[in-house]
Amino acid sequence: MNNLTSRQRKTACVVGILVLLVPIVILGMPAGDQAEASGGVLARLRTEHDLGESDLGQIDPTSATMNLVLLGLRGVAVNMLRMDLDYYKNTKNWAELRATTDAVITLQPHYIEVWRFLSWNMAYNVSAEWDAVPDRYYWVKEGGKFSQQGTRRNAEVPELYWETGRIWGQKVGRSDEWKYFRKYFNPDEYEDYEGSVDTAINAEQKDNYLVAKDWFVDANVAEDAKVQHIMMRALFRSYPTRAQLDYADARQREGKFDGVTVTAWQQSFNEWTQDYGKMPFKAPACVLYMEANEDDVRQMADDNKVDERIVQKWLKHYQHTTNYRYWRSRSHSESQPETGEAHKLIYEGEQLYKQGELADALSKLTRGMGLYASIIEAHPELSSEDLTAEEGMWAVLLWQKILELQQKTIPESFALKSLWDRHQGLLPELESRFNRLGL
Amino acid sequence: MSDEPVIQIRNLTKIYRDFWGRKKVQALNSLSLEVNKGEVFGLLGPNGSGKTTTMKLLLGLLFPTEGDISILGKPASDVSKNEKIGYLPEESYLYRFLNAEETLDFYGRLFDISAEERKQRTNELIEMVGLQHARRRQLKEYSKGMTRRIGLAQALINNPDLVLLDEPTSGLDPEGSQDMKKLIENLRDQGKTVVMCSHLLADVQDVCDRIAILYGGELKELGRVEDLLKEQHETQFVTSHLDDTAVDEIKAVLDKHGASLKTCGHPTSSLEDLFMKTVQRSKDRPGQRYIPSAESKAPPAESETADSGS
Amino acid sequence: MPTVAAFGINLMSLQPVEFELLFGIGLWAVVFGSFVVLFLIVSIATSFPLYGAAGPGRVLAGMLRGFKEFVSPSPRRVYAIASLTFKESIRKKALLVFVVFAVLFMFASWFMASPSDRPDMQVRNYVAFVFIAINMLVLPVVLLLSCWGLPEDIRIRSLHTVVTKPVRRNEVVLGRMLGFASVGTMILLIMSTVGFIWIQRQVSDNVELLCRVPVYAVAGPEGVKFLDRSGNPGAGVNVGDIVETRSFIEGGTRATGIWTFPLDEQADTLKLESRFEAFRTFKGDMNRSIRVRYVLVNEEKSLKVPLPPFEVDEFGTNEMVVTRTQKWTDEQTLETKNVDIYDDLAVPSEDGQFGSLVVQVQCLDRSQYLGVSRGDFFIRLPDRSFTTGYIKAVIGVWLKVLIIVMSGVTASCFVKWPVATFLSFKVIVIGQVARGFLDKVLSGKQAGGGAAESVYRLLTHMNDTTALPENPLTSFIQLFDHGLQHLLWMVKFMIPDLRSFGMSDWVARGFDVPWGGVMLPSIAITVGYFLPCVLLGYFSLSMRELEAK
Repeated sequence: MNNLTSRQRKTACVVGILVLLVPIVILGMPAGDQAEASGGVLARLRTEHDLGESDLGQIDPTSATMNLVLLGLRGVAVNMLRMDLDYYKNTKNWAELRATTDAVITLQPHYIEVWRFLSWNMAYNVSAEWDAVPDRYYWVKEGGKFSQQGTRRNAEVPELYWETGRIWGQKVGRSDEWKYFRKYFNPDEYEDYEGSVDTAINAEQKDNYLVAKDWFVDANVAEDAKVQHIMMRALFRSYPTRAQLDYADARQREGKFDGVTVTAWQQSFNEWTQDYGKMPFKAPACVLYMEANEDDVRQMADDNKVDERIVQKWLKHYQHTTNYRYWRSRSHSESQPETGEAHKLIYEGEQLYKQGELADALSKLTRGMGLYASIIEAHPELSSEDLTAEEGMWAVLLWQKILELQQKTIPESFALKSLWDRHQGLLPELESRFNRLGL
Repeated sequence: MSDEPVIQIRNLTKIYRDFWGRKKVQALNSLSLEVNKGEVFGLLGPNGSGKTTTMKLLLGLLFPTEGDISILGKPASDVSKNEKIGYLPEESYLYRFLNAEETLDFYGRLFDISAEERKQRTNELIEMVGLQHARRRQLKEYSKGMTRRIGLAQALINNPDLVLLDEPTSGLDPEGSQDMKKLIENLRDQGKTVVMCSHLLADVQDVCDRIAILYGGELKELGRVEDLLKEQHETQFVTSHLDDTAVDEIKAVLDKHGASLKTCGHPTSSLEDLFMKTVQRSKDRPGQRYIPSAESKAPPAESETADSGS
Repeated sequence: MPTVAAFGINLMSLQPVEFELLFGIGLWAVVFGSFVVLFLIVSIATSFPLYGAAGPGRVLAGMLRGFKEFVSPSPRRVYAIASLTFKESIRKKALLVFVVFAVLFMFASWFMASPSDRPDMQVRNYVAFVFIAINMLVLPVVLLLSCWGLPEDIRIRSLHTVVTKPVRRNEVVLGRMLGFASVGTMILLIMSTVGFIWIQRQVSDNVELLCRVPVYAVAGPEGVKFLDRSGNPGAGVNVGDIVETRSFIEGGTRATGIWTFPLDEQADTLKLESRFEAFRTFKGDMNRSIRVRYVLVNEEKSLKVPLPPFEVDEFGTNEMVVTRTQKWTDEQTLETKNVDIYDDLAVPSEDGQFGSLVVQVQCLDRSQYLGVSRGDFFIRLPDRSFTTGYIKAVIGVWLKVLIIVMSGVTASCFVKWPVATFLSFKVIVIGQVARGFLDKVLSGKQAGGGAAESVYRLLTHMNDTTALPENPLTSFIQLFDHGLQHLLWMVKFMIPDLRSFGMSDWVARGFDVPWGGVMLPSIAITVGYFLPCVLLGYFSLSMRELEAK
């Protein structure tokens, strides 16, 4: 026995416990939002040496600490937190929802579906509950950043990179608020919007689709080593190029018909046909790639030792599933300077119409329709695609309305007449869009 | 006042029942006895004979099934009677996280004693029970003997008229028991009434004026110690050492009176005999019990001195 | 039910509660009185078989003595037992809870997001965290201490040495309560001080911690009324929220929410603050939020002063400072003149010293909806300091500590500690979490009927909207449930309503804790439970043989 009193011994024990906790905090604190230099020593070392959780195996020190902190009740704690999360969503307590999200993930840093659900929940569900667009964007960002954080904790998982890419791509670029979201994402491109870029998500100040593309590329790299379970592999691998296509498309939607857009389309075409098109995929009966002419098909049949027709069948199936041929001809046609010109004419025609310059609008539209018709003639498969059809129909509709306003008769035949006849089903929707222009 | 018995128990019956109200144990059966002022009264009996139950009924820790108790002229259920009672429980159920001073101070407060007086009495009592060296140590570090001593001290914190001691010498070494007995005699000298129960018959014999022997919840013997121990049909002499001739002469005298010498030697601790005899008798004839008569109500011999002492 | 709700953190949107002290006291007197009378009747009735005709006399005499003992406890003895209790708790290592507290705060940042660009959320989370931590640590400790103390005292018989002194049993009960309460108070004080400092350090410098002082609409149905889309009195619309806290006003129609505020102070400007929710049926103009307009109204004088419209900042705050003098244009004569809020617009009423002010709320966007609830719109008086609100929130926890101590000590007077712990725990849970459910069951609004009916429906796989078939079994079930309901109705009055005790909600959301609707009822409930608890504890301890284990 030593000569300390019992009280002194106990105090010493308590102090000892607290002192021992300090290294746990310093060493084991999990990484935060920012990639570099956050979290405890272990988390930072991990970032520094680029170690994912899988490299550390089962002995992730942070999780082990966490289990210790919770006295082994991790599962119970997570259950309760998940129920809370739902309750906060229903009662619209967003601050608590955000905090609980972090608490859940601190306890379950390796469940991929948890990451996916939680980031999706913020970017899609929560953001939709808010009324003001900046608020919505804030929650999209929260979801995206959260997903990014997931990729850092689980570096080898392709799904999380893909999820991040989807938020920065589709959610920012395709939701109803896309015009605003894209501006917020990359403010430098837009003269009418003053704001600063969020370097945590877009350090290089790129277009949201190009950022998404980077994430999809990372997803593909990860996919080389580890199977993903979201979708058919051929689709999954197409996402980087699809992001490039979306980038070019989005510029067009914004009325930017300059060289940058055309180059973007050209790059899309090259990536689609060279990189993606030559990528081998393992179909049930054979290995194939999609950019294949008749010789290629024959070669593939020989390589796989199957009948040519079987290769044909699967090739058709794959091309159909990935919409390969459409994107191929679309990017090809859009790469031509005259296509850009056609889009520009139609777009400008619409703008002139809105300003009431009916005569100018009419001439622009007439020229645009002519060009458009020639492009469709060159790439007939485009005419069956909704987007192409819609633009052509829209041009014709505007053109007709102007003629009506000018009390002229609509000629029997006009450019794009075959497209017009073929897609009458689209008309009601376009009419209502026209009415909403409010002119 | 002095004739008034300090404790008066009439037809006291206690039945322990289980949860369903069924009879489990009959701990006491129609017990009647009185304890007079200034005497040291001993309750004797084997385990389970009802001694402690009687004590607890006296203190109001248990409620009687039948019968009445009057203690210091008040019913047992009246809390105010405790003002003048000191109680040392069977084991010292004190608060083990307190030290000696805190213990006495705490119980002093319960008697509404002023701070000054508490301090004074605390010091006196700690000195009296000889715990000066351990006054700041928590009771959980105390030995059994020390715990008994502090227990006695807390029983005396209010300078009581009636002291109830449950097994006062249990767990004490011979020296400790001797001290305890001295303390009890001291209390008697101060004119206080002491009721104690014990297994150690020698202690009882040494200090008690009157005793009651209980067996199976019934009163088997009651009376002054010396009366009970006096064998009416035998006479015992204890002399200084006699040589053989003297003994022969005495034998001759005895012969002349028609008596025979049965033993010749040192007297035994005959309370033990009495106790064992009573217990044996009770086992043989369970129905019989002692009914107090008017005769046994005789005041103790030293009542005068006791009065003057108080 | 969220986990945190179990610790009294109420996360529904803040709503002013209406509480009438006199009614509360009356109800208390009735309930307490009935129990006393019931107790007397039962004891007298049971005394007959025990003591015959002398029974009632004995009972009454006993009661009288008990009453005398009860009303004159000795402060010194109570204090002695209280300080004993305090020492006991400390020396039995109750303070180890501080180690857990320290650990929690050391690891807090691991589990806490810090949305630094959303200061309102930051403050909310930090304050909520501090109070959840305090609640989670203080309440269980106090619960276990107070439920263990007395039974343990009886078990190891140290109570024998106490009750064999001239100690009245109510002094034991009081002393124990006081002792445990002071242990709880000490722990609470230290923890809340640490928590306060922690919040101050965690919150970014650009965030201002403050407590708004809201003046809510007058109590009762007169306070907030609705007009439907055609301008007739009606109710708001439900837009399909899972948890319905707000009613929705249709935009671009005559649908209106009408708030009547009491005016108790006169000032040159009046700050109106609201936190409405927007609900769009179509995207519309995304560049701006839903637009709202307040109209100050005095129907009798036909005065209608529309204030400039504003866009709703959803889940945030909309502040509008209104000057005392407003311009009003007569619709018929098109004449414009100045009107004064207090002199012209205020409607004379008993609610406020200067009458009351009627404000209409309208949504201006066609086919869009504005979600409103009573607490969403208020007059904001000058702010108070964050410290004020924080202290009040701590008082809320403290009152809860007192309730737990009282129920724990009382329960431990008549049952063993596991049962006492369970009982007190239930009191807290029912009082705090299940209170709303209880009300719903009693008012018959709970779908699926009572307990037996629910079991029947479960077993027969019948959903809760189908009517029960008519047969003897179901009639019996309904009769049974009816009986249970009566029992439950009585229970309702015995279990404290602890919903108002979660005062940290207000502070976390940047509000001062209102006195009338929150502080007062909590204090009244605590005080109201004191006497019955001590009385019950006293009688059960007095009638109990401490020796019998």
